[in-house]
Amino acid sequence: MTPNYEPIREKLAKNEVVVLDGAIGTEILRRNVSWADHQLTNNPAVIRSIHEDYITAGADVFTTNSFQLARRFLLNHFRDIDHMRRIGARGLEVRAEGLLRASVELAKEARARAGKGRPVAIAGSITTLEWCFRPDLSPSADQARIEYREIAQVMKEAGADLVLLETVNNVMEAKVAMESFREVGIPAWISFVCDSEGNLFSGETLDLAIESLAPLKPDAILVNCAPPNDITAGLRFLTSSASLPTGGYAHIGRFDPPEWLFTDEFPPEEYLKAARRWIDMGARIIGGCCGTTPGHIALLAKSLR
Amino acid sequence: MADRSYAAIKERLEQRYSVILDGGIGTEIVRRGVRWRQLGLRTDSDTVQKVHEDYIAAGADVITTDTFQLTQRLFLNLFHNLEHMRHIGRERLEHQAEELAIKAVDIAKRARGNQAKGRAVVIAGSIAPIQHCYRPDLSPPYAEAQREHAETAALLAQSGVDLLLVETMNNSTEAKAALQAAKRTGLPVWLSLIPGPGGSVLSGESLADVVNALEPLGPDALLVNCAPPEDITAAVQVLARHCKVPFGAYAHVGRYDPPSWKFEFHPQFVDTEGWSPDRYAEVADTWREEGATIIGGCCGTTPDHTRVLRQKLVAVEQS
Repeated sequence: MTPNYEPIREKLAKNEVVVLDGAIGTEILRRNVSWADHQLTNNPAVIRSIHEDYITAGADVFTTNSFQLARRFLLNHFRDIDHMRRIGARGLEVRAEGLLRASVELAKEARARAGKGRPVAIAGSITTLEWCFRPDLSPSADQARIEYREIAQVMKEAGADLVLLETVNNVMEAKVAMESFREVGIPAWISFVCDSEGNLFSGETLDLAIESLAPLKPDAILVNCAPPNDITAGLRFLTSSASLPTGGYAHIGRFDPPEWLFTDEFPPEEYLKAARRWIDMGARIIGGCCGTTPGHIALLAKSLR
Repeated sequence: MADRSYAAIKERLEQRYSVILDGGIGTEIVRRGVRWRQLGLRTDSDTVQKVHEDYIAAGADVITTDTFQLTQRLFLNLFHNLEHMRHIGRERLEHQAEELAIKAVDIAKRARGNQAKGRAVVIAGSIAPIQHCYRPDLSPPYAEAQREHAETAALLAQSGVDLLLVETMNNSTEAKAALQAAKRTGLPVWLSLIPGPGGSVLSGESLADVVNALEPLGPDALLVNCAPPEDITAAVQVLARHCKVPFGAYAHVGRYDPPSWKFEFHPQFVDTEGWSPDRYAEVADTWREEGATIIGGCCGTTPDHTRVLRQKLVAVEQS
């Protein structure tokens, strides 16, 4: 474990609130930049300043800009690897790994510039291997294991303090991912996307997810990427069944693929009300998903600690 | 109106004169600095119209609508299901594809109104594979493909296109389904396949077999597109041997550079400099020599490619 995760673990052990950052991808859009290439090499200053703004807002843990960033996501645009080599841009086969490393490097730079000696941990963001809302597309367990291990290894080598498997939509992927994280040897939080009833899109329950993950001892279990009320529904299961630290981070606004529609339904004060409910239920890790901004995180950090 | 526009093109094809199809639409919109979302139709319709106008000014006889893969499924694919789309998606998202397709045809008509200057310019409604064009493995079964393509074809026909261009088809099942669905509108239909290397279709099927299976269904032309020029050249030789209907080709240039977010086909091609308009026209002229009469450009090509192509092919025919 890196020295940066230890203070976070201690806080959770003492039942204190840990503030996670807010959205990265939608925040890129809000700053009027396309998110097409994660902007890690084209526009690193924008990414770094988003991280810095979340650190300054008071986040204890912030996530790398690496959601949906893995070999598979580029290969998915081609018939197969031969087709990619024939018509694809040069270096595409190794691009994801390079960008993953760059995402951690940028996060480290941001911490060095904005951390001011406060303990702040970098969570390497990893998501469902195919698409976060489509459990029907999930690869086989064996294939998933190989790919999760590969990503986690890069995250660890590059210097992430923990990995955050987020918006995962089925128990199998969460389980093999968690096994890979244990093999690689890096702290891991597992966050599920849930529906309005607080169930997984695979039809599985969060109770089943908790039961399946318990022997692998994830460092925390969370729910994310659903509207605040749905997160509340998910946390009802998590906080009543899990013996581990739990948390939640909701999206606000509307998904307008391939981008995001910002709405004024949940300004920071309204979002704080939802977050207070989650704390009352027993959740201790609170942040924001798509549509949230450093303004939301600043109010959470100020009010919840 | 629609019939008259196509009649002129049909006559040229019967006389075995070259008909110039436009070049890349999506890649050209992106090259002009547009942030790619909803095919540029919601945020940058002026640029979309200008791209069409530039292709007409460059000498295209046929322009294609900015409707590649614009179906409800394009958006639905990103949600758990329709209910989830309604729950977390933007309002009216389930109707967006339809609304944008109508707008895309309007934009093409406006471009023609501004730039055709009395010349016969045909508007082809672009219909792409239901799933990612480079993923034959994701192609839906026949009945499902036919139902969805029929919806798109009917919408484009009602919006006033002159011709349907079913393009970038990657396997015979979906190509047949789309062709039959498009034919039902009563409009002329051109069908274009993506070749793999060595005279195959991207699915691995034999191009000759697929051509033989499609011709009885009554396409007005068969083409190949969205592969590098060398693969297109090999495929044109197969078309030349097997097609009884007019045939044609349009290659992509450069290399496909998809974004690291997985959001369907993203028309970004890099390293296109290797294929200057002159070099492209040279290779396209060899397709003409093989008997191809419909020639244009796919991803990465620009109005400059169309201009030089027209000069070269028309000059040959006039000499």
